[in-house]
Amino acid sequence: MARFQNKKRKVFVKPVVNKKQQNVDHVTGDKIPKSFVFSRGKLPSSLKHLQADIRKMMLPFTALNLKEKRRNNLKDFLNVAGPMGVTHFMILSKTESAPFLRVARTPQGPTLTFKIHKYSLAVDIAQSQLRPRSPKDLFKNSPLIVLSGFGTGEPHLKLTTVMFQNIFPAIDINTVKLSSCQRIVLLNYNKDTKLIDFRHYSIRLQPIGVTRRIRKFVQNHQVPDLSSLQDVCDFLTKAGYGSESEADDEAATVSLASDVGRVNKASTKSAVKLQEIGPRITLQLMKIEEGLCTGGVIYSEYGNGGNNKKQEVEGGDIEEGNEDEEDEDVKDVEEDEDVEED
Amino acid sequence: MAEESHLVETGNGPKKRSRLLKGKKAKKKQRMVHGTSEKIKIDKKMKKLFQKRAREYNSDDDDDPGITAENENLLSPERDEVEEGNSDVDDAEIEVSEGEGEEDGVQPGITKFTEGCRAFRMAFKKITKENLTADPLGPVLSRQKRLLAEKLAEEESEQKVKGESKKDKKLVQEKGHVKPDKYLDSHEKFLIGVATKGVVKLFNAVNKAQNAQKGLDPSRFKDAKAIRKRRKKAFFSELSKTSAPAQVDLVKVIDVDEIVSSWSLYSVMLLGLSKRDKPSRGQGDSEGPTWAPLRDSYMLTSSKLKDWDKMEDTSLKEDGAGVSLDSSDDE
Repeated sequence: MARFQNKKRKVFVKPVVNKKQQNVDHVTGDKIPKSFVFSRGKLPSSLKHLQADIRKMMLPFTALNLKEKRRNNLKDFLNVAGPMGVTHFMILSKTESAPFLRVARTPQGPTLTFKIHKYSLAVDIAQSQLRPRSPKDLFKNSPLIVLSGFGTGEPHLKLTTVMFQNIFPAIDINTVKLSSCQRIVLLNYNKDTKLIDFRHYSIRLQPIGVTRRIRKFVQNHQVPDLSSLQDVCDFLTKAGYGSESEADDEAATVSLASDVGRVNKASTKSAVKLQEIGPRITLQLMKIEEGLCTGGVIYSEYGNGGNNKKQEVEGGDIEEGNEDEEDEDVKDVEEDEDVEED
Repeated sequence: MAEESHLVETGNGPKKRSRLLKGKKAKKKQRMVHGTSEKIKIDKKMKKLFQKRAREYNSDDDDDPGITAENENLLSPERDEVEEGNSDVDDAEIEVSEGEGEEDGVQPGITKFTEGCRAFRMAFKKITKENLTADPLGPVLSRQKRLLAEKLAEEESEQKVKGESKKDKKLVQEKGHVKPDKYLDSHEKFLIGVATKGVVKLFNAVNKAQNAQKGLDPSRFKDAKAIRKRRKKAFFSELSKTSAPAQVDLVKVIDVDEIVSSWSLYSVMLLGLSKRDKPSRGQGDSEGPTWAPLRDSYMLTSSKLKDWDKMEDTSLKEDGAGVSLDSSDDE
């Protein structure tokens, strides 16, 4: 008995989608910054998760599934970055003392090296929450960034601010749609401890001035349970649980310029609620280098980096097998140049 | 210990041999040997070979074979006295058999060989008895059990060490990884507050900006023009407040308050959100950021780099006075 074969069966061909993202924002005409998040050296699994989280945070202008091999060196990434229009690198690495995060501008630097003091993964954050929130279009737009406490006037902090501002596309408040503002990245600098708190929140808007019951009714589209009530009026007038406890902070209310979702109408008051998505990272700025992971040290946590450009940082320095030799060469050349100029 | 045990062996050796002889098996063997000797004619060459072999075999033993062979008869009575439960009949038999071996012209080599056999058995006996002594070079079989236990214990301890090292490794790997609390502590609340403030500020700004142009449709040419005009006006009014910097300065945005969102500079200025810089910075403003890496042209040309060097030095000197004013990169 011959088997019948479905002649219509076709070999699955992955549809070729020409996903050519424009390098320039079509509305504002600004250049859209793009980023690579990758690691140097072998990372333990928890740091790999952190890397995945950071990539997700950097969406949509990042390579979410960037594959890296051990023999890839920085030059490889740099070569790819040019044609792809990648402007920023975020490089994770691990040493005996602590994990490190480097944020660099391509192709010429500067590079900021942060020591990761503490971190929690997005999974951990979600586990700690009663109701983790993840709307499906949460990662379709790039996050807003809020930098706080950086205005102390120190140059290295300024550079940090500029770096982080430019890592996400700028938004034009004349044209921006509020519905595209779904996430926010917060960097809070603590002057006393010199630590930077890195947080990632989702923004939720809630209409205010209505009881919780009605709000839920409008949001959920479910028939409410009226069995305990005598009259329909009770449903409207009586406050449900928690409506008082969720005291609407006057500072956290906004009047919207346009409709956001189904519930929040334009020119009505809405409360801004933030819920953490993760990752949560506590960073410390260790040093700033001129070039892309090379070059003179502009700023160093240990001692006065700005005074002596060629000074190398002893502690917290990250060794990299492949690049070191190249780095040495580059450094040498630069130093030579400096000498000539002087 | 090893020496002691050897001594014991030498002492015991002959005794055991004699005992072996008394056993039925020994007798049987002897008989068999007798039987064969009768049938097979052993020529001189073979005899010599056997003798040689026997000597070699016995030479491994601690006691000299020759001596034992000669002394056996002499020693045997004493041995018998020492050993318990030896019947006189057996003794007689041995003597007879050995006597036979000496008498027969063919036998000596054979007897020696049988002695060798006995030695082999003795060795086995020794091995089985050995477990009392703690001789590291001693027999394997009896030691096996203890060795096994030792090995197991060793492995276990090794495993323990391995597990500990693994734990340590894991600790190092997980360094910095913190599971967050189930509740929001004050610091987290503060951070959320800061972020909320930022969002509110942005949304209000958006509201203000987009309300202003509400009635106008940007797709219509006339309206678009009006919008552009309005923005321009607002922009210039903003600029005129300051000491008319020609260039757009990014740092101003950074100096804006505590909170800075990444909405575009132009918009920020339009809304008047940006506080002006500290008065001390006034004159340097037109040159862009004082610190070289903040400039757009940073590191693009070597001349700039050079200037940066200079500038950095000066700025460091002035560091006590606050933000440096100097920006000497103007050609």
